[in-house]
Amino acid sequence: MRLVIDERRCKGCNLCTIVCPYKIFRQGAKPNARGIVVPELDRPERCANCRLQALYGRTLCGMCQMICPDQAISWKDEEIGEPTKVAIEF
Amino acid sequence: MTYTDWLREDRLPHIYCAGCGNGTIINCTLNAVDHMGWKKEDTVFVSGIGCSSRAPGYISTDSLHTTHGRALAFATGIKMANPGLHVVIFTGDGDLAAIGGNHFIHACRRNIDLTVICMNNQIYGMTGGQGSPTTPVGALSTTTPYGSREPTFDLCQLASAAGANFVSRWTSYHVKELTRAIHTGLQIPGFSFIEAAVQCPTNYGRRNKFRQVMDQVEYFKTHAILQQKAERLKAEGKSVPENSIVIGDFIRRDRPAMGVKR
Repeated sequence: MRLVIDERRCKGCNLCTIVCPYKIFRQGAKPNARGIVVPELDRPERCANCRLQALYGRTLCGMCQMICPDQAISWKDEEIGEPTKVAIEF
Repeated sequence: MTYTDWLREDRLPHIYCAGCGNGTIINCTLNAVDHMGWKKEDTVFVSGIGCSSRAPGYISTDSLHTTHGRALAFATGIKMANPGLHVVIFTGDGDLAAIGGNHFIHACRRNIDLTVICMNNQIYGMTGGQGSPTTPVGALSTTTPYGSREPTFDLCQLASAAGANFVSRWTSYHVKELTRAIHTGLQIPGFSFIEAAVQCPTNYGRRNKFRQVMDQVEYFKTHAILQQKAERLKAEGKSVPENSIVIGDFIRRDRPAMGVKR
């Protein structure tokens, strides 16, 4: 699974940056086409949900998705042939 | 099925300001409703007027956007006409405590099988930041430019005194706990009242030294104190720190409820 931020919905409040236990979300630097500074993802492959959601069949942590007031954060399945990276933090 | 299936995707993004906590409460509520396994046809969301009351417009079930403060009155009508429906009410502090105060205490007294989720942002956000009954003492708003001097309403104590079956208070930072509390409230027959303290960066935070969205959420994080801990402090003779938000499940009882299908 892949962590994505929907840039059409995000309003740049940066609430996700304070709840992620892995500190995957970082404050962005550049405004996008709508003039909103969307948070950046720092090595999103570390997210436990990305790695284990399919195995467990349920959302594991999901704090960022729950606290996002704009429903902008979601996990998408990789497309066939898409290169995947795995990083595990101890 | 996940909670995102309950959203009206074509209506998003919603009109809430950047960082408004109401969206978080919608997430929590829909997650809890989704866990209940209810059908969309059997669920009704009712709301009054205000920022919080825009919420049912983004949910793909039947909903009712009613007059100011009268969400509970309309919801009572729905429940009495068809007790098979699951009725969830979104309401704000101005809607529930100020204009709809009497409806609120009588709905608690009758113990109707409703779930009320009060998004308490401590101010009238939509109309331009007037002080509401839950504006803390000393807080600035457009109607209290020198700081509010009135004592505030503790909605949870009001609901438990009036006779609600389940009373709980969490903040928009405690999303998991809030989801669990709403889930419990939906399961319990009778009146369930869940108060969620939410941040209002535009009208409350801007005037009260929470310039960034994160400031007020950090405040919830640091100043929230569990009810058990507050009681322990009181038993030890210590005082609960000022400005702390007491959170937790306050009341859970089994008074005879109205509108429950037998």
